[in-house]
Amino acid sequence: MRGCAVRQAQPLFVTKGTTKLLLIISATVEDKELLEKFAHPESRNLAYNQLVRKYQQKVYWHIRKMVIDHDDADDLTQEVFIKIWKNLENFRQDSQLYTWIYRIATNECLSFLSSKKRKFFLPINDITAELMEKVEASPDIAGDEVQLKLQKAILRLPDKQRLVFNMKYFDEMKYEEMSAILGTSVGALKASYHLAVKKIEEFLKQD
Amino acid sequence: MKKDLKLSDIPKHNVFQVPDDYFDRLPMRVMARTAAVEREEVTWQTSFWQRLRLALPALALLLLFAGIYVLHVPAQPEEQATNLTTVSDAQIVEYLSTYATVESSDFAELSSLQGQELTAEFMNISPASAAEELEYYRLDEIDY
Repeated sequence: MRGCAVRQAQPLFVTKGTTKLLLIISATVEDKELLEKFAHPESRNLAYNQLVRKYQQKVYWHIRKMVIDHDDADDLTQEVFIKIWKNLENFRQDSQLYTWIYRIATNECLSFLSSKKRKFFLPINDITAELMEKVEASPDIAGDEVQLKLQKAILRLPDKQRLVFNMKYFDEMKYEEMSAILGTSVGALKASYHLAVKKIEEFLKQD
Repeated sequence: MKKDLKLSDIPKHNVFQVPDDYFDRLPMRVMARTAAVEREEVTWQTSFWQRLRLALPALALLLLFAGIYVLHVPAQPEEQATNLTTVSDAQIVEYLSTYATVESSDFAELSSLQGQELTAEFMNISPASAAEELEYYRLDEIDY
């Protein structure tokens, strides 16, 4: 197109031996530095690559714990990073970069789960049953009886409460950070988490 | 399994697993997919502008016709009614006396006005002419 600058993400081809080194470098790159690099067309692809390497695990695990299935989590993780690529230029730095990324990932998860419910005209219990079945049968999930029972107990929670529980219990996030990501007050998050713990423990007592 | 199992008794453990080298390959896959999405967007934008360029003359012609129609749209009925109010009573009476056909039903209606004064302006006739007319016609012979 004439008169219109076009930016394209180019894959950076690196050998397998250098990927681990890149991962270590990316993890230490500051968000501010990444954003500065991304603002310049000549270093944009490099900055984006470093951003993906820095946040890929956090985004993936955040999503995986919600959707359970690896293929769904893989697809959603890629979607999240595509959204980041498209919108990072307009990121106003009112919040921290990781908060913004987590928010995109959270929204993707919740809309995926609600669209799944709508698509198959299934009530919530059936979706829960489907996810529980995956916990029991998937070869990508390994754990002892107690661990699997805990996962099934978590799945019985409503989606948003499940999100709160995962972020607090597994990711050990501060309520203030969670509040910035979820846009919910600290008090409401505390109440939601304690209620979730209570429900889970009730379920764990059952045979 | 223990009946009084507490959450704090369970060690935190990630039960989910990923394929080997998944996180080594993911950035490449993300970069490739992002590039593909960008290419698609560029193609879509290009084809949109091309289509728009083709459609522009037809759109301009359509707008021209619409403009012409709006300019030549017939006057509204309200306007006609408004214009009628500007015509004086004398002009209306003159028009009616020239073109309107008087029927016997009109006379019947006239009888209902007995006792009311009809203005000279409405009658459009001088007292002398009225007397002449009354003398000429023998009103009791007219059937209505």
